[in-house]
Amino acid sequence: MKHLRSVWPLLVGGAVGLALASTWVSAQSEWAKRPAVQQLYEKAKAEKEVALFVPNARESDWMAKAFSERFPGIAVKASADPQYSTRLITEARAGRYSADVLSHSLGGLIEMQKRDLLGNMDWSSFDVRGSNVVLGGLAATTHNFVYTIIYARDKVDAMDLPRKWTDLIEPKWKGRMVTQAFLLPRLMGFLALEWGPQETEKWGRALIEQQGTLVVNSNSERYLRTGERVLAVAENVATSYQHKRNGINVDFLVMDLVPATQFIVAITKNAPHPNAARLLAGWYASDEGKALSEKLNNESDLRPGSRGTLFKRVNDNQSKILLEDASTMAKRAEYYKQFSGFIRGTE
Amino acid sequence: MSVPSQAAGALVGPALLGKRARGRASALGLTGRIVIGIGVAIAIYLIAAPLLMLLTAALRGPQDLLPFEPGAQWTLSNLSVYAEPGLWRTVIPNTLIFAAGAVSLTFVVAFTLAWLVERTDLPARNAVFTLVLFPLLVPGVVLAIAWSFLLAPNTGWVNLALRAMLGLQGSGPLNIFSMGGLIFAQGMAQVPFVFLLLTAALRSMNPALEEASSASGASPFTTFRKITLRVLAPGLLAPLILSALITLEQFEMPLLIGLPGRTMVFSTRIFYELNPDTDLPAYGRAAALALPFLLGGMVLLYLYNLAIRSADRFVTVTGKGFRPTRFKLGAWKWPGILLVLAYGLIAAILPAVVLLWASLFGYGADLPTLASIDFKSYKELFASSKFWIAVRNTFVVAGASAALVTVIGALVSWTVLRTRMRGRGVLDFISFISLGIPSVIAGLACLLLYASLPLGLYGTVMLLIVAYSYRLAVTTRLSRAALMQIHAELEEASYMSGGAWLTTLRRVVLPLLSPALLSSFLLLFIIGFREFTLPTILQSEDNVVISVIMWHFFASNRIPQAAAVGTLIIVFVAPVIFIMRRLLQRQDDAA
Repeated sequence: MKHLRSVWPLLVGGAVGLALASTWVSAQSEWAKRPAVQQLYEKAKAEKEVALFVPNARESDWMAKAFSERFPGIAVKASADPQYSTRLITEARAGRYSADVLSHSLGGLIEMQKRDLLGNMDWSSFDVRGSNVVLGGLAATTHNFVYTIIYARDKVDAMDLPRKWTDLIEPKWKGRMVTQAFLLPRLMGFLALEWGPQETEKWGRALIEQQGTLVVNSNSERYLRTGERVLAVAENVATSYQHKRNGINVDFLVMDLVPATQFIVAITKNAPHPNAARLLAGWYASDEGKALSEKLNNESDLRPGSRGTLFKRVNDNQSKILLEDASTMAKRAEYYKQFSGFIRGTE
Repeated sequence: MSVPSQAAGALVGPALLGKRARGRASALGLTGRIVIGIGVAIAIYLIAAPLLMLLTAALRGPQDLLPFEPGAQWTLSNLSVYAEPGLWRTVIPNTLIFAAGAVSLTFVVAFTLAWLVERTDLPARNAVFTLVLFPLLVPGVVLAIAWSFLLAPNTGWVNLALRAMLGLQGSGPLNIFSMGGLIFAQGMAQVPFVFLLLTAALRSMNPALEEASSASGASPFTTFRKITLRVLAPGLLAPLILSALITLEQFEMPLLIGLPGRTMVFSTRIFYELNPDTDLPAYGRAAALALPFLLGGMVLLYLYNLAIRSADRFVTVTGKGFRPTRFKLGAWKWPGILLVLAYGLIAAILPAVVLLWASLFGYGADLPTLASIDFKSYKELFASSKFWIAVRNTFVVAGASAALVTVIGALVSWTVLRTRMRGRGVLDFISFISLGIPSVIAGLACLLLYASLPLGLYGTVMLLIVAYSYRLAVTTRLSRAALMQIHAELEEASYMSGGAWLTTLRRVVLPLLSPALLSSFLLLFIIGFREFTLPTILQSEDNVVISVIMWHFFASNRIPQAAAVGTLIIVFVAPVIFIMRRLLQRQDDAA
């Protein structure tokens, strides 16, 4: 009973939280009742389907189901390929257009924008804030890839956990860390904006050469699960939740600096299903879509004004959010290209 | 009994070869010419697109434009990749060590196993055959994971056992994430491929030559060195060259085992050009880096042709009697069985356990209970109509492309070896270098070509069949080696008896070539079943295949589902291997 009593406030709190969240979602979905959106839905239904391109199937799985439930009669056909831009550019050269809606990182859609392959969209119909509209109005923000450290809970003492990125250079972490060749340079690109490139490179080299961090090309799950390594550096917060769902006893850390790559959604200029494309993209970029993205896929939105739980936790921790935006994107890319040579071992 | 090889060579002078060739040309008839013409045209068509794309991409820039886009120009700038010091300082030396080590290990293990299966009375040879081929079914990703479970420095099962036994502290003593580990992993992964090629050669060899040597008092070692190795030269060289090229081209082991060990090789370098820090893949630099494969292929083909320039020296199947006999192992049976079991444990049983385990429990280190067995992943797959469509598509694509390549490749080999057709050397060369074209370049070529052509192939299963079929080298090397062991007098006897070209091909050549062709089909079928680069690039709703589904699960961290697909791939393909082995066995029995 004593145990139950201690859990009771948590349960009540959780229920209230859920109720508030659902009220908030429905309140934010006023746009769905507008005649313009209703008309769009009717036209979209006539098109029957919409082709969604995402870099990773994890993103499309929940979306296809949730969208079809929200807007019955429109099937989402998803294609997952991190390099779909190449395919779509090639198709466009041949006068073919198979994609309606594109979701990717800000950098991932730049090449499409350069070639004038993105379509115009009225984001305000879906109550998307102006500050969340990017690429000159062609795309809207959806979620962030939030860099973190995932740790094996049963193999690390909570008191020992690192709080700052620089803590990883302590001798106690030698031979105990794993990182991904793709993600570490990108994290370092953000850190270099704060620390400067020399200091960041010194840190990165120490992480790999001095600390013997395993640099891999696949996800960190099995290294954490088997105990081969106990810290996975430069991971995504959403990945931590996924590991948990897969039965691994892990959690993530909110570090002193919280870098966040920006993911966006856009429609294509020659979308085969233009109305369904507008409906899906608008819904995904709306607060309703973002709330579902967090609830069903543990994605986070760290942009100013976000109502996500991670945003609150990061602020409570007094961490500094390093958001990707158009002004810093080029500089960060320059840095991570510079770092990737020694991380990948190509220099 | 057949004549010894040297004697056969002595009987056939250049003039006679010329007359024979002319005789065969006239025996071809109109039908033969049409069939060969169509076969050659298809072969060129299948290879030309990826080859041209490779060459074009290597010489087009700048990097932020695709090679065919407006604004892209002819340039040598992609070749600047060779000016990078890291390439010469690290990548090339690493690659040479890696390739030499892996190919040597593969060859020793594969030859021993192939000899045991094909030339000895080792028990349960059909089962051993299937067991040896097993790793070919397991995705490279899973093999790499299985071996890192065993040999990871901190928690690898073998290391834990060794540390406990030897009272060692810290990590190790073995480390899969090292050059040695990479050589071991790639070498073992390649064994089935070379084994399959070697069994074909060993099956076609007439043991009468070895018997004659033994009867003349030669020791088994002398017989092996002076007869077996020499007679088998084409059959050994072809797999050696192919395995060297494939080792250089493979991404999986270098990425999963080499990269954590900071061992960068050529293929990982190409991978990084295709997955660069820029937003579009650097196809130009990747293609430029792939050019040495073509050059290497040219050199290897030249050396191959040099080594086998007197083709008739290798004839072992003539018009005279030929009946395969088996070497009696006697007391050596047990070491043979032990070797097979050791290989089976490391290369087949352990990966299978890891795969099954992962499909039921994920990649867990904790011991599960019976109650924790969860068939959810399998139930999810079986309930998905998309999965069953993918199964159907995979069988169709892998089967049809393997059949197409086997037929066309055999025709090309016959044309190169048995005719004096102008340009046959070029045909031989381009079919050979098809292995040096990275599949991502081939995929891009097909994407561009079939998205542009109004043939209705784009997005269909047929597109995948065509795309998969550019790897003619497997069949041409296998069937050419086998053809070289078959004396032309058999065909001539058929022509002299009034047999038309097609009849001779069907009743004389094909039955003798069938072990090589079946091996080729099987190999290509399995490669097709596992292929994921091409179908990922060319995917649509209608042509999804199993490997793409598996890769998507893996990429999105849904490991149990990915492992379940991997397990089902084995379940689907293992019976195919077993049936084909039975077919080969039946041929033996009939002989």
